[in-house]
Amino acid sequence: MHIPTTLPLVRRAVLVLAVLLAAPMLMARPAAAANVAESFVGDNVNKGLQILNDKKLTTAQRRDQFEGFLLSLVDVRRVALFTLGQYRRTAPPDDVEAFVAAFKNYAVAAYQSYFARYTDQTLKVTGSTQRSPTDYIVQTQLIDPGSNQQPLEVDFRVRTDTGKPVLVDVAVSGIWLSLEERDQFVAFLGQNNGNVRTLISHLSELAVNLGKPAQ
Amino acid sequence: MRGLRVLAVGLCGLMLALPLAGCATTPPSAEALAARDPYEGMNRQTLKFNGKIDRYFVIPTVGLYFILVPEPGRRAVHNFLGNLSLPTIFVNDMFQGELKRGAQSAGRFVINTTIGLGGFFDPATRMGIPGHGEDFGQTLAVWGAKEGPYLVLPFFGPSSPRDAAGLAVDTVMDPTNYIHFKQHIWWAAGREYFTLLDLRAQTYQTVQSIQRSSVDYYSSLRSLYRQLREEQIRNGRAKGQDLPDF
Repeated sequence: MHIPTTLPLVRRAVLVLAVLLAAPMLMARPAAAANVAESFVGDNVNKGLQILNDKKLTTAQRRDQFEGFLLSLVDVRRVALFTLGQYRRTAPPDDVEAFVAAFKNYAVAAYQSYFARYTDQTLKVTGSTQRSPTDYIVQTQLIDPGSNQQPLEVDFRVRTDTGKPVLVDVAVSGIWLSLEERDQFVAFLGQNNGNVRTLISHLSELAVNLGKPAQ
Repeated sequence: MRGLRVLAVGLCGLMLALPLAGCATTPPSAEALAARDPYEGMNRQTLKFNGKIDRYFVIPTVGLYFILVPEPGRRAVHNFLGNLSLPTIFVNDMFQGELKRGAQSAGRFVINTTIGLGGFFDPATRMGIPGHGEDFGQTLAVWGAKEGPYLVLPFFGPSSPRDAAGLAVDTVMDPTNYIHFKQHIWWAAGREYFTLLDLRAQTYQTVQSIQRSSVDYYSSLRSLYRQLREEQIRNGRAKGQDLPDF
């Protein structure tokens, strides 16, 4: 007699317990994922700044190390395809692949050029915003210890949909680099009949020039 | 000051009128329309003109400024000019209903004008009252005015009808324009000149970096300007909400 009444009670108790135990875990999932994105940025970007700041490295060593470091963090292919805008759909597949390769060289040179100006500074993660379950904006500040000026706000866009976090964009004072690149490339292609080969040769020249010291 | 600023505002008005004349003869391309830049051809010409002014007049004087005025002096000039613009920033804070930021602007003006010796020093930042910018172009945006087509103004650079109108209103609102004294014209000219020097000295490396890394400098500037203005209008809030998917 007791069995039919106690079993549902036990089941109910187990179910309630399971829900109580699971609820915090379910609620904690976005925060935990945000922490993954924040840790990813906090740990890695300071490593990148250290490479650029390492006075023992020669220019070639610094470039090679920074390239390896950057390519391990950034989903360059994804960014490259985004920057092609509507021309991604109309360009021949071979041209698109050649563009991705040229963009990789350009991005390494451009990022190195941008971040070389901040080598003496340290990065502090200040928070993050979740745009979707796999899309985060991690907010940081670049702090210059030798200056009393306000820290520079730098945001990183991190995607986690491939299983591990990857960087897809960076914004300095609210200006997103990939958006700016897409706007330029689309304008350039519009002026050149959508010829991706012309853009590739232009990007290759720029990558070489960016590797040289500024005049 | 008033004369120079009236000239500036007049040029803005002229630039607003010119595109309307230009559009009758040169139809904009599909890309230009998609980029909300129907006057691209004329804008590119204006950017070239501004580039020549920059190269042959502004950069050489910025070079001299760097040589003749050491870094602490340049910082003091920057602080002083920033302090002069605080009354206008305060009014725009209030117009936008940003009471806390308005209080910061007022507090900064009082502290930096007194303890900061006329604004040459910035003790307010050390006291935890950071500075911020605000202008009537942003106020118009907060009030719901649309940006309109992209414009490049002679001498002033990237803009839009909304921002050009804002520049004109800020000029009229600036209380320092209504202080008259004997050598007013020299003070006015000096302020404009040092504002230009300070701005270019602050942005020299950034502009050089953009020029070196751009596939198309014009469209790069257009994108940077629009993104920066959006960020300024949002006052740094709601980050990344309207970003496209990758």
